[in-house]
Amino acid sequence: MSNPIPSRKEVIEDIKNRGELVAAVLPIHYSRALLRCFSIYPVEVWGPPKVDVSLGGAHLQPYVCSIVHNALSFLKMGGLNAADFILIPHTCDSLQGLTSVLIDLIKPEQAIIPLYLPRGQREEDIIFLADEFRSLYTRLSELTGKKPSSKDLLAAIKREETSDLLLAKLYKTRQQMGLSNLDFYRLVRSREYLPAEHFSTLAEETLQTSTQPRPGIPIILSGIVPEPMEVLNKIDEMNGQVVADDLACCGRRLYKPGISPEPFRRMAERIISAPPDPTRGNPIEERVKYLVEMAQNSGAQGIIFYEVKFCEPELFDLPNLRNSLKEHGLASIIIEVDINNPLPHQVATRISAFLEMLDS
Amino acid sequence: MGITDSLKYYWNVKVVGQPFLHWQRRQAERRPKVSSRWRSDILSPPLRIGAKTKELISRHYLEGRYANGHRPVAWVTSGGPVEILQALGFYVLYPENHGALCGVRKAVVEIYGEAENAGYSTDICSYARTDIGSMLSGKTPVGRLPKPDLLLACTNICQTVLHWYRVLAKHFEVPLILIDTPFVYTKASDHALEYVKKQLENSIPIAEQVAGRTLDYRRLKEIIHLSKDATELWLEIIGRGRHHPAPMSVFDQFIHMAPIVEMRGKKETVDFYAALLKELDENIDKGIGAVRNERKRLLWDNLPIWYRLRYFAENLGEHGICVVASTYTNAWAELAPLMNLEKPLDSMANTYMHPILNQGTKYKLDTMKRMVEEFQLDGVILHSDRSCKPYSIGQIDQRNLLIQEYGIPALLLEADHDDPRAYSEEQVASRLASFVEMLDD
Ligand code: SF4
Ligand code: SF4
Repeated sequence: MSNPIPSRKEVIEDIKNRGELVAAVLPIHYSRALLRCFSIYPVEVWGPPKVDVSLGGAHLQPYVCSIVHNALSFLKMGGLNAADFILIPHTCDSLQGLTSVLIDLIKPEQAIIPLYLPRGQREEDIIFLADEFRSLYTRLSELTGKKPSSKDLLAAIKREETSDLLLAKLYKTRQQMGLSNLDFYRLVRSREYLPAEHFSTLAEETLQTSTQPRPGIPIILSGIVPEPMEVLNKIDEMNGQVVADDLACCGRRLYKPGISPEPFRRMAERIISAPPDPTRGNPIEERVKYLVEMAQNSGAQGIIFYEVKFCEPELFDLPNLRNSLKEHGLASIIIEVDINNPLPHQVATRISAFLEMLDS
Repeated sequence: MGITDSLKYYWNVKVVGQPFLHWQRRQAERRPKVSSRWRSDILSPPLRIGAKTKELISRHYLEGRYANGHRPVAWVTSGGPVEILQALGFYVLYPENHGALCGVRKAVVEIYGEAENAGYSTDICSYARTDIGSMLSGKTPVGRLPKPDLLLACTNICQTVLHWYRVLAKHFEVPLILIDTPFVYTKASDHALEYVKKQLENSIPIAEQVAGRTLDYRRLKEIIHLSKDATELWLEIIGRGRHHPAPMSVFDQFIHMAPIVEMRGKKETVDFYAALLKELDENIDKGIGAVRNERKRLLWDNLPIWYRLRYFAENLGEHGICVVASTYTNAWAELAPLMNLEKPLDSMANTYMHPILNQGTKYKLDTMKRMVEEFQLDGVILHSDRSCKPYSIGQIDQRNLLIQEYGIPALLLEADHDDPRAYSEEQVASRLASFVEMLDD
């Protein structure tokens, strides 16, 4: 990569210095375009790791996942002070609980904006999600006093679509790019906070740089988020090469361009037609088919299910996924982590044993 | 549907099973037996209606046992809109109720062990684990569960049910109807209500196809009518807890709520609750309370701890404490006023959007506060249920607010409704003891 990737902090400072608004956005699906129309810059919060979890622990039981614990702890330690709004998609019971506790009981300074995501892929789900975006539009209009036109909305959508197409291209050519696992995920995860136009420039530059492909044992990473990112370093060190992923923060958000010329429907179409995701209710068979095809196309030999402890949406599917993948000759392993803890030695050992097994 | 299966059904259910269960109940009513382990010194004798409850539940599972091939079978989540399925003649099974029954009969460990051996994590809801364990092994304390021809998951209690029913759909290879009910943080939006109504409408042709018959809207209205009647009676029954001493504890309610969950929409359920109400009124007239020497009254929040109901009743009863009301049993009562027979689908959409579990934490806190006032309660036990995140998240703040803002003593107890491994009796006993002491201060 020619230019270094700016950090979240630098991006937020830059936005604030320009006098623009920031929305902290929790996982997973939402419309970046809708926020951008109101000159609100989304900066996603996946945890983050390494926070004082006792702050969240004062409100949440220990059996709630570390993504939710950390998000609340981060908020309470002032980590989201730069955010003008907090958008929380309804991803799971735990995020639903967090949203509700924030709205009703904790009441932070920033407006908490919930977004319900339908769990089906039917026509009524698209209609509902489009309506949900319309109502979010109204709310943002009230909060900002702005009223972007349909043309503005469509322009913002197209800008995001371009960026997502470039993201997909990065994914397609990742094996030829020669980036380490850590560098590749630093790059694609910058989509979580870089404005689309900046990300597009970065992606284009990277795509033009020709380097040597990196050899390694080809694997797929599945789960929510590769945190702590140290895990990618470990996989690098152990000669593993992540050739594709089914991660909620990354591959499950390779949104295709929408079809409808009506902006709200188009935003909804993009999310509903995204790769299968248990939090959006795709049937298990679809996930199996998707993963098997992903392995075939990428040449992956095995799959690491890298899971956040207590994440029900992920845990329910694992036995069926693993059995079906086994029938297709694909080995898999489950690693469960608390994203706030440093990567346990035992996890590294298990990954190493798994890679060795694949190599032999 | 096959003739042989129907003959089997009629013989085993109508000719042999039901008359036997009826006879068994009459015997129990004629010569009520109180177990020698029953703490008659602190608790009044069990309600007479118990024999009928047992008959209804046994009959329900007996019908299920022979339902396949005779009538279509649907497995439905506890908050699911069941009326359409009932009107189409489905036998409806509620896996959560079955899970509760396995808990009460202490059969859960063996059954969910089957799921865990198959790779299901101990961190998923214990109802789901129990059901999946039963699905994989066929193990159940009720003989045999019928295989579903249709699945219906309604997200108005949690998202867990969606993940769980996707597993069932894959295993049984049958259609899964999803009724997705957007969470009501503050107020249900019009488009959310419209969305739920649309899904209800669209579920009808799928269910009709599986049932092989067309929905009769007159029948649907009758069923909603019966459902409303039963729910209103349940509301009244719960309301009788306002009397001092309370004629029924929540530990009784947890057992006698089974028909309102799995048999609402039936005439016999209405009759059952009318009889229960009558018995409670008689006890009120005679001054009989569930706890003999009722001194203090509490509210229970969240699901019961199914495998320790008696322990809680006795432990608290010893101190003259009756747990009189619960947000959980109330959840099946509070929706009665929302049911409107004139607009069945609109009314179902509205009703099924508003269970307590589909509403924000403030609604739940307000409900607790209201119940404490209305039932003149001395405190609240909040069961922090490891399995049930939607019910439990928010309880830490709710407990703090009950104590600090409203001056209501409140205790948070860590456990799990169906998984005894997440329950420590020693810890519970010591926390209950301190709470009781504090109530007495
Ligand atoms: S890790 Fe799982 S449980 Fe936690 S917020 Fe994400 S989807 Fe929800
Ligand atoms: S116990 Fe809670 S998580 Fe489990 S099925 Fe019931 S509502 Fe859902």
